[in-house]
Amino acid sequence: MNIRVIGIAVLAAVLALVPSVASEYWVGLLTQILIFGLLALSADLLLGHAGLFSLCHAAFFAVSAYTVAILQTRYGVTTIPAALAGLGAGTLLAAIFASAVRTRGVYFILITLAFGYIVWGVAHRWASFTGGDNGVTNVPPLTLAGVQIATKAHYYYFVLIVLALALALYRILTTSPFGLALRGIKSSETRMRSLGYRVGAHLYVAFVISGFYASLAGVLYIYFNRFVNPVAAGFPYSVEAILMAIIGGTGTILGPFIGSGIILILRNWVSGFFHYYTAVLGLIFIATVLWAPNGVMGLIKSLRSGNRGEGA
Amino acid sequence: MTEVAIQVDNVSKQFAGLRAVDSVSLSIPRGERRVLLGPNGAGKTTLFHCISGTHQPTGGRIVMFGKNISGVSENGRTALGMGRTFQISNVCTDLTVMENLLLGMLGTTSRKWSMFWPVTADASLLQRAKTALERVGLQGREDEEVKYLSYGERRQLELALALSSNPRVLLLDEPCAGLSPSERQHFSKLVSNLSREITLLMIEHDIDVALALADKVTVLHRGKLIFDGLPDEVQKNADVKEVYFGRL
Repeated sequence: MNIRVIGIAVLAAVLALVPSVASEYWVGLLTQILIFGLLALSADLLLGHAGLFSLCHAAFFAVSAYTVAILQTRYGVTTIPAALAGLGAGTLLAAIFASAVRTRGVYFILITLAFGYIVWGVAHRWASFTGGDNGVTNVPPLTLAGVQIATKAHYYYFVLIVLALALALYRILTTSPFGLALRGIKSSETRMRSLGYRVGAHLYVAFVISGFYASLAGVLYIYFNRFVNPVAAGFPYSVEAILMAIIGGTGTILGPFIGSGIILILRNWVSGFFHYYTAVLGLIFIATVLWAPNGVMGLIKSLRSGNRGEGA
Repeated sequence: MTEVAIQVDNVSKQFAGLRAVDSVSLSIPRGERRVLLGPNGAGKTTLFHCISGTHQPTGGRIVMFGKNISGVSENGRTALGMGRTFQISNVCTDLTVMENLLLGMLGTTSRKWSMFWPVTADASLLQRAKTALERVGLQGREDEEVKYLSYGERRQLELALALSSNPRVLLLDEPCAGLSPSERQHFSKLVSNLSREITLLMIEHDIDVALALADKVTVLHRGKLIFDGLPDEVQKNADVKEVYFGRL
């Protein structure tokens, strides 16, 4: 058995034991860390694998959360069709926004930023449909086959199971010929073209898949939070998703979750006794860029391989 | 008459005020090894880019094996059997040697879209990649990241990449540029050992390498074709002499 399999088994066992030893507060925080880690992972499919810096992933997250919330509260749709509709709506939006792959570099960043603001603006201003600033409240708990998953611990286990499936698929995707092609495109687009790849088409599909993962995070979020307001579609969520990926380590699976843990623990726990927690976050980000450009995972990797010229 | 692999028909390329390629026509029969010569700025690389599809010519057309490919995209031309290397080494430096080659072999197949199996799961694909690496002398370097390779080794990898799609036409843009003399010898041997089935068009500044490999030579100067003939004749040609040495 190799070290990776053992690591995954130990991690799964520890995660499964958390609700029996930790308070409800920590179980809830850990659930959030997992959900936002998934959002960060979705943005990192583009950043870490294809080299595209997207600032609109909160849009897919929010559209899927809003879709579920509105269908459940206003139209009495049950969990499974509502969740599927949420996934579908977020992914469909991603299929439209994916037109951004026609641009590169700073233009890609700017156009995705603009796309993100469109969704935030709609959530914020179209009050008769989205509830405006108040958002949509009183979303019922997740109900599967007549069983309500209402406690924090039960919902935590549900998120773990969904994540295990999603991450297994993500792992296969990133090691598949398609995933390898994305990394090739990140490294040299001209070379990939002359090898016969339609670079634009590959990036388009990657963007849509990435939007699907962000939508999945949105569905998990709405049944955790039970309400959604325009904050979920806001610029800070998109930026934080990217920051999580960078701090934890881009191009890895664990990295975005580590980054999500660092940022959310700072926000939820440190902010309780230290007002300037965002300043701490800023310092952590500067330190990451200066001394660990490949994030926590990069640091671990270079320690393990004995510092073999890794880094930028 | 033998089949024509590449037909360049009156091709021009205008960049703003500069006519980099000026109504060039040439015809390369299947299996021939053609070397493009010319001083710096003669338009050799621009003509190459027009043939490979990197640039759209402003006039004329490109025909490959009887098919007009002027409107075909760069990746589309690769699918039709064209392979190329770049003047400045262009490989995916963040990936390993093996990963580069796998990308090359998958690039012209629909399997490049597969998402549900790890690329390392296909043993026969890996075996073919290994064989291809041995052919260019890169055996044992499979798992090395390309950024740790020497320049000469990257050139070898580029050749393997260009060959990985089994091209019928191979474009080599200054394959020996930046190589040491011993690397040059090694590399030109690799090229001369290529299958004669492959039609070869190469730009090369090293006259010894060029004349040793060429069946025929084409000389460009200021975007115009000034000589088209056998390697023996090129050194005696008055126009060519004038371009390289000035009027004597």
